[in-house]
Amino acid sequence: MDPQAIVEAAKYLAAGICMGIGAIGPGVGEGIIGAHALDAMARQPEMANTLLRTMVIADAIAETTGIYSLVVAIVLIFVV
Amino acid sequence: MLEYLGKELALRFRIGGVEIALNLVVAAVAAGVSVGLVLLALWLRRGLRRDPDTPLSRRATVLAVTVDLFQNQLLGGISPRLARQLLPLVVTLFFYVLLCNWANILPIPYIVSPTQDLNVPLGMALMVYGLTHYYGIRTKGVVRHLKGYLEPFPFLLPLNIVGDFGRTLSHGFRLFGNILGGVLLTTVVAGRFAPIVVPAALNIWFGLAMGTIQALVFTLLTVAYIQVTAD
Repeated sequence: MDPQAIVEAAKYLAAGICMGIGAIGPGVGEGIIGAHALDAMARQPEMANTLLRTMVIADAIAETTGIYSLVVAIVLIFVV
Repeated sequence: MLEYLGKELALRFRIGGVEIALNLVVAAVAAGVSVGLVLLALWLRRGLRRDPDTPLSRRATVLAVTVDLFQNQLLGGISPRLARQLLPLVVTLFFYVLLCNWANILPIPYIVSPTQDLNVPLGMALMVYGLTHYYGIRTKGVVRHLKGYLEPFPFLLPLNIVGDFGRTLSHGFRLFGNILGGVLLTTVVAGRFAPIVVPAALNIWFGLAMGTIQALVFTLLTVAYIQVTAD
């Protein structure tokens, strides 16, 4: 079998697996952050603005690993 | 299809065996956004009146609302002295990143978001990294600023240094990854699957909404990083 074809196939497979598994962590993390922020907002509606700001920052940080896997997937598809 | 991502119009030259590619489209759009922001600021400033007793003009109201929003929402949690120093930087950074993200939804071929090129977000993240040290040294002095690396325990020094780099890297990569991901998705869907209505909806979400959220996150993290070292 042509080695180039194996590389081609492997890189798309790797990109898919990378993005799929890499999205689990941020998804769970952001769900937890959102749930707890909603809890806190329901308990203290007057704090909603501060909580929203902190929540967005926390979301962005939880998202970082997902973005890393996205970058790796993009590199796999377009650069390798 | 992907040539619209602007990779074709790069100026390549060699310095000492290292090939450097300067992406002309990105540089031009980034410069255009800067010029647009400066012109907008000058135009808005002309709405200010010398006499404080006259009623506010429309442009002055826009300025007042913007400054008020940033002071209360983004800089609400930090000391008023530092907030006053940071306000111009934060407002400029927010609108620059916002317009850079939004540049992509213009229906002109070869106009791309500068933020989808890694050099632009990483450059801004490096600038923010430098500014954290600047404000840290300015408010605490060199010795106390450097001592901050030995906290909470001296043997955590390597971890603190690595954390600094990781923080800067993720600051840049976050913006880059989000914008590039949206652009790739929109381009692929528009080119391959649904060329009529769907790209517009995708542009609204990935261009307008995600652009605003990511600009906000970038600025919020800038404030948070500077606050950690300087406040």
